[in-house]
Amino acid sequence: MSYPIASSLLDGIVLAVVERESTYGYRITQDVQKVLDISESTLYPVLRRLQKDGCLTTYDAAYAGRNRRYYQITEHGRARLRQHRIDWQNYKSGIDAIFFGG
Amino acid sequence: MNRSEYMAALRRALSVLPEEERANALRYYEEYFDDAGPENERKVIADLGAPEAVAAQILADYRELTAVPHPAGGAAAEGRRRWRGVSPGLLIVLVLLAIPVGLPLLGLLIGLAAAAVGILAAAAVTAFCLVVVVPFALVAAGVALCGFSFVLWHMPASALVTLGCGLVSFALGVLTALLMIKLCTLFVPPLVRGLVAIVRWPVDRLRGRARRNGGGIG
Repeated sequence: MSYPIASSLLDGIVLAVVERESTYGYRITQDVQKVLDISESTLYPVLRRLQKDGCLTTYDAAYAGRNRRYYQITEHGRARLRQHRIDWQNYKSGIDAIFFGG
Repeated sequence: MNRSEYMAALRRALSVLPEEERANALRYYEEYFDDAGPENERKVIADLGAPEAVAAQILADYRELTAVPHPAGGAAAEGRRRWRGVSPGLLIVLVLLAIPVGLPLLGLLIGLAAAAVGILAAAAVTAFCLVVVVPFALVAAGVALCGFSFVLWHMPASALVTLGCGLVSFALGVLTALLMIKLCTLFVPPLVRGLVAIVRWPVDRLRGRARRNGGGIG
């Protein structure tokens, strides 16, 4: 079964994927789709929003005779991701306590 | 639909966006096709879904991004915080300095409040007269005239005129009473609610501030 995905959770996941290494839209979509059942069109608005919030920046690099746009995490993005990790730990341990006993 | 048709449809659907935003979105999807590779073109089109739906998602998110009225609230909060920073000594000096100006002003305020209370009382009495006294007086006059007409039976014409006037007055009284009852049911509840809201407003503000301060400490 799959759970509906809150937009804040998706923000955190995208930040975590980009933190591992600067990467591009198609790859991010593929990586997120490995764990979440999201549509291909979900990520562009998320990336754009994170960029506007100053969590991500972009740079262009040549690849196979064209420019490819890479997303890179900023300091602000790292701070946001740390908060996401704390929130997730709290959420997860709360659910675990109910599912498996404290 | 092939890739270029898909991108053209997306461009049309995004036409309401500012140029930079649209170019950004279109570039993202051009690259998406490039990175998926030409062999996956059909699959990408199928997976992305209708260009209009893709555009709707982008537009919804853009609207959310641009509708952010936070800075004003932030400035107000900043102002409040600074006001709390006034030292107690300075506050005492300010209060002492304010007394010569403040006392007459206080008197003026008390006078104005008294005048407002007087006006409200007058309005209440007037309303009471309109609502209760006028219909009651009309009904009473009608009854009295009807009664008086029986005394005039030796002059039938005068008696009939008096009786007629009495009945008319009685009917008018009943009608105005009904009208007043209707007006009261229409206007009194909102009026009372408004008064209650005016009285509660400062109390609620104080309570809200106390709660915010409590949250800040805890």
